[in-house]
Amino acid sequence: MTDLVLALLSGAVGGILIGLMPRAGNRLRNIVALVFSAAGTIFSWRVAGAVFAGHTIRISGEIAGLAWSLQPDPLGAIFGLIVSTLWLFAGVYSFGYMAGEHKQRTYYTYFLLAFSVTLGVAFSGNLLALYLFYELLTFVTYPLVIHERSSEAMKAGAKYIVYSLSGAGAILIAIIVVYSWTGNLDFAGGPLLAAGGLRPGLGWVLALFVAGFGVKAAIMPLHRWLPAAMCAPTPVSALLHAVAVVYSGVYGILRVVYSVFGHELMGQLHLSDILPWVASFTILVGVIIATQQDVLKRRLAYHTVSQLSYILLGAFTLHPWGLAGAICHMISYSTLKVTLFFAAGVIAKRTGKVRVSEMSGVGWQLPRTMAAFGVASLGMIGMLPLNTFWSKYYLMRGSVAKGKWQLALVLITSGLINAFCFIPTVVAAFAGERGQLSLEKGSETSLMLAPMLLLAGIALLIGLWPGLVWPGVEAVVDWFF
Amino acid sequence: MLLILLPIIPLLGIFALRGTRGKSINIPFAVSSVTLILGQHLLRDVLGGNPLTYRLPVSGPFVPTFQADAVSAIFVLLAAFLWWVVSIYSPEYMKQEGGTRRFEICTLLTLAAVLGVFVAGDLFTLLLFFELMTVTSFFWVVHRWNEEAIRAGYFYLFFSIAGGLLLALGIVLIGTATSSLPAVGAGPVTPLDSQAFSWGVAAIVAGFGIKAGMAPLHLWLPHAHSVAPTPASALLSGLLIKVGAYGLIRIGELVGWGLEFGHAATWLGPALTLLGTCTMLVGVLAALLQSDAKRLLAYHSVSQMGYIILGLGVGLSLGKAGGLGLLGSIYHVVNHALFKAALFLGVGVIYIRTGETNLYNLGGLWRSFPVTAVLMFLAVLGITGAPGLNGYASKTLLHHAVSEAAQTGLPLMVWAERLFLVVGVGTAASFAKLFYLTFLGKPAEIEISDGRSQRFHVSMALLALVMVGIGLQPKLFLEALAVPAAKALGMETAAATIADLSFWNASDVMGMVITLGLGIAVCWIGLTTGAFHWTPPRWLTLEGLRQIVLLGLGAVIRKGEGYYRSAMAFFSNIGSAITSRLLSACQRLDHSRDGTIGDITLAGISADAAILLVVLAVLILLYAYIELDLPSLRLPVSLPTWLRIPFHR
Repeated sequence: MTDLVLALLSGAVGGILIGLMPRAGNRLRNIVALVFSAAGTIFSWRVAGAVFAGHTIRISGEIAGLAWSLQPDPLGAIFGLIVSTLWLFAGVYSFGYMAGEHKQRTYYTYFLLAFSVTLGVAFSGNLLALYLFYELLTFVTYPLVIHERSSEAMKAGAKYIVYSLSGAGAILIAIIVVYSWTGNLDFAGGPLLAAGGLRPGLGWVLALFVAGFGVKAAIMPLHRWLPAAMCAPTPVSALLHAVAVVYSGVYGILRVVYSVFGHELMGQLHLSDILPWVASFTILVGVIIATQQDVLKRRLAYHTVSQLSYILLGAFTLHPWGLAGAICHMISYSTLKVTLFFAAGVIAKRTGKVRVSEMSGVGWQLPRTMAAFGVASLGMIGMLPLNTFWSKYYLMRGSVAKGKWQLALVLITSGLINAFCFIPTVVAAFAGERGQLSLEKGSETSLMLAPMLLLAGIALLIGLWPGLVWPGVEAVVDWFF
Repeated sequence: MLLILLPIIPLLGIFALRGTRGKSINIPFAVSSVTLILGQHLLRDVLGGNPLTYRLPVSGPFVPTFQADAVSAIFVLLAAFLWWVVSIYSPEYMKQEGGTRRFEICTLLTLAAVLGVFVAGDLFTLLLFFELMTVTSFFWVVHRWNEEAIRAGYFYLFFSIAGGLLLALGIVLIGTATSSLPAVGAGPVTPLDSQAFSWGVAAIVAGFGIKAGMAPLHLWLPHAHSVAPTPASALLSGLLIKVGAYGLIRIGELVGWGLEFGHAATWLGPALTLLGTCTMLVGVLAALLQSDAKRLLAYHSVSQMGYIILGLGVGLSLGKAGGLGLLGSIYHVVNHALFKAALFLGVGVIYIRTGETNLYNLGGLWRSFPVTAVLMFLAVLGITGAPGLNGYASKTLLHHAVSEAAQTGLPLMVWAERLFLVVGVGTAASFAKLFYLTFLGKPAEIEISDGRSQRFHVSMALLALVMVGIGLQPKLFLEALAVPAAKALGMETAAATIADLSFWNASDVMGMVITLGLGIAVCWIGLTTGAFHWTPPRWLTLEGLRQIVLLGLGAVIRKGEGYYRSAMAFFSNIGSAITSRLLSACQRLDHSRDGTIGDITLAGISADAAILLVVLAVLILLYAYIELDLPSLRLPVSLPTWLRIPFHR
């Protein structure tokens, strides 16, 4: 229990501490940021370890007569594990990337606060706590989105706020309905609505939940805030807009499907036949739009939109294998996507190039960056030495086992379009003339390179030895099935 | 343990390469020598009838497993031998081509990948090495990094990636159809769900078919194989496409070699026969029209893969009696690897000294390249199936198999036999053309640079030696290696089928001689009438196909983009309308000039605000409808059933 409290607090305390520090003194600030994110990471690892060992950790209380609780289950533990590990990487990358940027104090303050809040989402034990942290996440990440303070950034920030809050509104309605039906919002006692069986309006409640969480999970057509938010600094794009924030939406949907409705009740709803197709639509259209983007970060953003729906697709198959694929994809995709974003950030910092069409010859200037980018691209296609193969494999197994083989074809097609989306960039980067490297000032590359290469290495390792993460995946599947 | 050393040794070679920077030590040669010795060692164990297996002691869904039976041993030895020969050849060649280190790294990595495929013991491990092979050999294709190479590289990569994805799909389907994933070399499976199994087999056949250059999935092959540096071309054509054949043999094993009709996927045999025949024909017809020597050879790789696929198809179709087809295919895999590598290496010698691969610019080169000409001549005899060389042995076997199948009277098999002969003539014709235009004919006015060719000749001579050896003693290889391989695959009757087979009978020899004669005649007609200069219509070529696909895709995407944009514009217009109304209302209320929240104007978020307002309004209305059960919201008329959204099943 102490671990849980400390994990949640370390980000918040660190953030507040940095906020109180004087403006100058980057060095001290970086140390504080590193210490507190490392602390948060270690404590959430310990929490996850305890959860996987079968212990129950629970903190609960009441606000205005409504019960809230924090009680990580295997799904929450996996989410916490992913987020906290990547936070450490993104933190180190930030030290390299943000050096010389303005408003660093604000940046690190909210960067650490967001860590706490995301862990709160992960470890929440009932719908109320989930909702509160989910809502809070919007606010603490807003300053990161508008970091540039340009008019474009302000616009993107407004978009982000409006989208997220509207989604949260829909969730709130749905939560009220659920509460009026069951009088209980806790996840711990099995699916909330399962006991009541079918009742009128169940489909609509599901639709409200999916639409609400779908805003952050970027289900089309609710995705438009995500490409706009790419004006944030790269570590933020990498961590928050490819993993933490969008995953909290995905996590919410997973929760709704498996903890609020339960897979049996879901299977009886008509909507559960349609939802995989909504996800498939997003998968294909997202990646097709991505191929049309010239600005690399926007391309990656649309690609995120597409990939998040892989996870949703797995969740919506309502099959143990599909869920296993979804959890695998949460783990695998995040490592590779963060690698891609880190590479994009290094390219932008070191050469000033942000457009794909300008990238010829970049490969010779930044060979290690481009190699990591290439490895991650192969992963996005789903080629075997990379971990995403396993998620794709189990997603397809789940779809086929449920008799929906068309979904497997969607995944295959998407893999091929992914190849069209990224391979030409990599090849073009190595095809051009070997140019001279024009160094932008103040970029400490080793701080940026190390997290990126390490993550690509982790992706390869998990790909070759999926047994490394498999117990966690199995624990989640066993928990819900 | 020995098995996992096979793919690991070449990887160690890369570290050795780092260590010996700047010294002239031929690491690929050393590595392939070691591999060759290891392979021989392996062979001795395997021929004793003990297939080797090794499982890495790891947990989780992926337990890398390695296995080797006689089939694997043949392919491993073949790969090691070809790499060994080519590594004698390549240093001299790459000195002029440039990028030696890059090339050597690729060569070692690809060797590791290829060996890994051959000793893989489960489908995942096989796929792992297969994908690795795709990536590493891609760097061979784009070695020159010019526009042509990159374009060919794209085709190669995208086709191969599609192949890998199809394999993954096939594994999924087969895994669903059977209770647990079948291991490689474990023999036929009895699927629980034969439809899913059939589709899975089809997906895997397509996946390996892409790699094997099976028509109509061969389009990438001529481009990729002709732009790669020649030693790489020799290995690509000699061995990498055989990985596809290896996969097809293994898939045949899942379905069941030597099983009578009634097994899980009875369609596979006839389908492979059909595809093999088409591949043979398409390859040889396209090859006749080529003017570039390397491209001609590449198209012949397609055509010869057709022979192999045809043999596999016939072998599967005939069930117990199909031993000849399977043996012929395995035999042809080996033979084709030998002579195709020799041919590429020979053309490479000409290229490196003259800088020319266009046949019509060459001629009379036997004076300057006497040794190359002789060695090339042997290889040409090999591929055309002249008696006394290795091609004769396997083509005779395949021909026997096809004629046996034709006796069943199925139109497909009858046509396969007829076309088999036509393709034989075409092969002879195009190689007569290649040899005549290069070495005979009137001497071309072409500059020949100086250079040492001894190493080139040594490597070609090694290949020629084996070719002649097999050609003179065709039964030796069959009995020693191919029959155990067929037995390992479950074809118990294989030994019996060749017991009373004699290669040196009058009808077979005469048949081949007639084929050669006809081929030379066709070549003469083609050269004198200019029929070889006919250019096929654009839509038949890869470029044309690419254009058609791009045009189609482009149209679809543009159309979709149009819809997307107009949908967004629609919302955006509604949004602007709503916000401007709201703003003017607000302005009228408080006389302020801008409706702002801090620095943000409301107008800037119009489209999104509109979407969300609409969504929210709908959601709130729905909520009200559900929760409050307002009667006024009920429609007065009942909707047709298809428009009603049912809440529950």
